[in-house]
Amino acid sequence: MITFKNLKKSYAKNVVLDIDLLEIPKGQAFGLVGNNGAGKTTMFSCLLDLIKPTKGIVTNNEINVRESEDWKTFSSAYLDESFLIGYLMPEEYFYFIGELRNVKEKEVNEFLKQFEDLFNGEILGGKKYIRDLSKGNQKKVGIVAALIGSPSVIILDEPFANLDPTTQIRLKKIIKKLSTYNRVTVLISSHDLQDVTEVSERIVLLEKGKIIKDIKTSEKTLKELESYFTKE
Amino acid sequence: MFQLSNLQWKSFFRSASIAGNLFSKIIMFFGIIYVTLMSLALGFIHGVGVSVTNPEAEKIADPFLWINKEIIYIIGYLIVIRYLFQKIPILNIRSLLLTPLKKSMIIRYAMHQTIFSIFNLALIIYLLIFSAFVNLETDSGNLFLWNVSIILIIYITNFLNILLNKKDKLVFVLFVLLTVLKILEYNMIVDLSVYSEMIFYSFYETPILVFVPLLLLVYTYYYVMMFFRNNLSIDTGLSMKVKEGKMNNFDWLNRFGSAAIFLKNDLRLITRAKRARSTTIMGILFVLYGLIFMVFDDLYGETGEFFGLFFSTAGFMFTFCGMVPSWDSKHYPLMMCQNITYLDYLKSKWYLGIIGTILTTILALIIYSYFGLYYIIVLVCCSCYNLGVNSYMTLWSGAFNRAAIDLESNKNAFGDKKSFNSKTLLLIIPQLILPMLIFYFVSVVYDRYIAAYCVGAIGIFGIFLRNIFFKIILKTYKSQKYSALSAYKQTN
Repeated sequence: MITFKNLKKSYAKNVVLDIDLLEIPKGQAFGLVGNNGAGKTTMFSCLLDLIKPTKGIVTNNEINVRESEDWKTFSSAYLDESFLIGYLMPEEYFYFIGELRNVKEKEVNEFLKQFEDLFNGEILGGKKYIRDLSKGNQKKVGIVAALIGSPSVIILDEPFANLDPTTQIRLKKIIKKLSTYNRVTVLISSHDLQDVTEVSERIVLLEKGKIIKDIKTSEKTLKELESYFTKE
Repeated sequence: MFQLSNLQWKSFFRSASIAGNLFSKIIMFFGIIYVTLMSLALGFIHGVGVSVTNPEAEKIADPFLWINKEIIYIIGYLIVIRYLFQKIPILNIRSLLLTPLKKSMIIRYAMHQTIFSIFNLALIIYLLIFSAFVNLETDSGNLFLWNVSIILIIYITNFLNILLNKKDKLVFVLFVLLTVLKILEYNMIVDLSVYSEMIFYSFYETPILVFVPLLLLVYTYYYVMMFFRNNLSIDTGLSMKVKEGKMNNFDWLNRFGSAAIFLKNDLRLITRAKRARSTTIMGILFVLYGLIFMVFDDLYGETGEFFGLFFSTAGFMFTFCGMVPSWDSKHYPLMMCQNITYLDYLKSKWYLGIIGTILTTILALIIYSYFGLYYIIVLVCCSCYNLGVNSYMTLWSGAFNRAAIDLESNKNAFGDKKSFNSKTLLLIIPQLILPMLIFYFVSVVYDRYIAAYCVGAIGIFGIFLRNIFFKIILKTYKSQKYSALSAYKQTN
């Protein structure tokens, strides 16, 4: 379970995140929506201990992320390009992440086989460093790497942006499978309301750092969200 | 034009690392003053005709003939030095392409920025001072036109430098060629200076020849401009050259345990990123640094010699490891989220410094053992100090390192090539002064052997204090983690 408790982040007097209590049970597919500046990335960054909250506690599986580094053993994330190492070849990058999570090269190769169609022959066995790949392909590398070593918590920021339609559909399948069959907690954020409703069981709507809506996904959810954003 | 200057001005003052930037500018400012004074002094000395290397030696008989002989080397080495150090004007050209500014104007603006570069000014100052003091019994009008010709040639090299970007091999060949010719000349086998004198003296004898460099300069200027004019679209001149990648395994490193995972990456970094490569080469070249102090033995004394040898073993540690963790600045968030503790990460960086230092020490031992046993002892003691004290100090100072390194910056035609960071240079001063003081005082009171042993003993003592040092380092890094992350993010 992931808990955000009294979490507050402000820059000078500008509050960018303000959550009283948010609990995400194990195995939930959790979606985060909101306009630019709503605090989505800030929330994920607090969970990954990349920024220091002004106030409050974030726990990941009962571990306070600020006090112990043990959450790193079962969590993984892909937020942006800063999670890639540009001067590596994709394979080397996968092996590197694998080694960190105690997955041997052979097992990584085995694991990568299921993504062959996702990679579309443009990533593996090529002669390009990650820095020379297109933005979309870079993103594929980053997301797939976040899945190596069967982590039980996966955090993806805007996973569908920049991807071609085919890949988007495949990625959605993968995410759904992870939460339903493998009991993996998946946290994703997205600007695309349709994508996020398709893959998540629960959707939280953030605005100016505050939770506005907390919905269990149903058929009405997409309409509800759309009407919220068309208001004003 | 004004809007463009305005942009540069803003990018300087609004950058995240303004303090660091200002600091480097100040260091650069003093550097410029130093170079200017040097050109003034050299211009005067050469003009009057006193030899620089040895003031007691006879005067240069005819300074003007002398400079005509040497000028071919001055210009040749100028090209090399420019290539290594002169910043190619950077402008965020991509974003300007769609503005109503004319392409040729953007390029001209970038080119004109180089006109007042210190590399040109220093030589001009030198030439003018030289001419003012040179004792020539003929026409000052001819001398003036000779100066004009030479200055025009200097500017030809200035614009050529913009074109030379990424031609490492060519410049290296030029450097080797010049050096070999100079050595041959010294040994009186081939004498290039005769031809140099013939050519450049004719600019004095026949002033009308000034049109030759003038036309050449105009031609070069327009050639460079047209070159970029034709290549100024994002799929040609501004595009990145994609090099074919090659997999490297480095399995032999696995014996270093969990640190090996990172060591492999660091090796790949060194082989694949230009900035890392040139830093490493610089670190290795520092092995030769001690030779300077050995040659000018009387001038620097025992402590000077010790300093040189100390630096010989510490070069890699100071240059490459001095930039830890900036090498990972681009993917620092990844490093902070992976299944590895901060401690292990730092340890792997520490190992890198240790391995580098041991390798440079071995290299230094091979070179300096030729001079005798004392030098072997000094090198081993210095190495101990570097391993036992400086390895921690360098790592520790890295916690405050906010300068993000853009590993891919060398790829554009107008990329930034400046690979020096004066901040890291300043941070290593305390790491050097302490052992120097110890050596100096002990060698004055006792002798140089005991002094060297003392420095070495401190190092060995430090090696045993590893856990204590790491506790402090880890604590500092943890407290600096968030500000480092946000600083790196801003520059990315």
